[in-house]
Amino acid sequence: MTVEQRRKLENLTALVLSTLAAAFGLFWLIFILGDVLVHGIGALNADLFLSDPAPPGIEGGGLRNAFVGQIMITFFATLIGVPIGVLGGTFLAEYARGTRFARIISVLSDIMVSVPSIVIGTFIYALLVRPLGHFSGWAGSIALAVIMIPVVLRTTEDMLSLVPWTLREAAFALGAPYYKVIMKVVYRGAATGILTGVLLSIARVAGETAPLLFTSFNNNFFSWDMNGPVASLTVTVFQYAMGPFEEWHTQAWAASLLITLFILAITILGRAIIKWRYRS
Amino acid sequence: MEVPELTQEIELETRDLNFYYVGGVHALKSINVQIDRNLVTAFIGPSGCGKTTLLRCFNRMHDLYPHNRYEGEIIFQGKNMLIDGIDLIRLRSSIGMVFQKPTPFPMTIFENIAYGLRLKGYRKKPELFERVEQALNDAALWQEVKDKLQVNAFALSGGQQQRLCIARALAVEPEVILFDEPTSALDPISTAKIEELIVELKERVTIVIVTHNMQQAARVSDMTAFLYLGEIIEYGQTKKIFTNPDNKQTDDYITGRFG
Repeated sequence: MTVEQRRKLENLTALVLSTLAAAFGLFWLIFILGDVLVHGIGALNADLFLSDPAPPGIEGGGLRNAFVGQIMITFFATLIGVPIGVLGGTFLAEYARGTRFARIISVLSDIMVSVPSIVIGTFIYALLVRPLGHFSGWAGSIALAVIMIPVVLRTTEDMLSLVPWTLREAAFALGAPYYKVIMKVVYRGAATGILTGVLLSIARVAGETAPLLFTSFNNNFFSWDMNGPVASLTVTVFQYAMGPFEEWHTQAWAASLLITLFILAITILGRAIIKWRYRS
Repeated sequence: MEVPELTQEIELETRDLNFYYVGGVHALKSINVQIDRNLVTAFIGPSGCGKTTLLRCFNRMHDLYPHNRYEGEIIFQGKNMLIDGIDLIRLRSSIGMVFQKPTPFPMTIFENIAYGLRLKGYRKKPELFERVEQALNDAALWQEVKDKLQVNAFALSGGQQQRLCIARALAVEPEVILFDEPTSALDPISTAKIEELIVELKERVTIVIVTHNMQQAARVSDMTAFLYLGEIIEYGQTKKIFTNPDNKQTDDYITGRFG
């Protein structure tokens, strides 16, 4: 075999293997999404959004409680997690920039990102559910917030670090105090990046089940009360899919589809923002 | 060192100024220089000679980075600016700076200028508008941007961005403006406009300019300091430095024999 033939053979092998690997991954992705779409779309109807679960065996009923619960839990998780994440990231990229302390926190955050979410669920269970003696929506929000914080913190830190130092120098040179340099100049320079990170972190927690199982648990009744158990789509999917009733399975498919669409929408929005920002 | 004939009031003065970067790199060695009010003073010298380092001492830009160290004195408005407890924010609003690359903020043209004005305490819209217009006029940019004040500043050309930065520096009414190679990233026409502007502005502010371009120093400055390896080798009237320098090294640099 000549050197040239050998090179071409190697090239072909690499091409075939990488294409196969990509196709294998894509196959399952499309299979899952397609299956959710096929099963879920048939189960969509107005009742799903407008009524609460019917007792097992009785026709009809919906998942209104789970929709509202999911929105509440995610909303408060965002409200708690995003400010802490953004401020923490600001501290690391600005005030503690270049220090050993900042590097350690960065590395720890990276580790936090990959901690299994069930660990965070049990952690909040031990911290907020056991001592108080009952499940609560707040515990669920806080568990999700804990998952969000390292994601938002690292994105913020990275995005702020991308803002050129000359820009900060220019603001300092006008006699601006550091907090005004950050708030008015650096944040503006990094705004789209931070916003994208926030959206992706919302998408990340919106699909979480394990941490909610231990914290907000589930509730078959409609409830605004964040101090008690609150229903969520993900936990409902878990419970209904395991349940013995055919209607439950159908509704679990519908809920799966809606969560998937929600996460897809947020991800696309995040991508669109990046594209819009860097279009020129 | 010869006493310059043009000496008027002194705006800035360094006394035995030494500067050390992180790790003890001795970047400026016993600098003694007097910057005259309402004149343009140029710092020239080969790369790494310390001219930008010296410029950035005047508004204490080096303080933004840890472990930099000053020794000696910088006298501004009768006070040593290097002692502890100096209000750096006040110092920097009195001594503005224009950088090598244009540094517009990621906001509209109007907001770019209003940023500094708001720092100075101007809040009312009509007053802001008036002062923004004034600053843009002073930087010879008003005619080009008056219809697009709400456009993002990045939409301007490089030369326009640099004039915007000059307008932004002027708006806060500093006594001194430091120019750090302000035209090295610009085309010849934009460069000419900025040089013209610098000469006009010395009526109002004291200007210190670092430049790699010796023709530029000769065109715009009244006084020139030649730096080499962290020391001032020669300081005097630009005319003299460029025609009949006392020092051989200065002569070699001016005539392009090294640097």
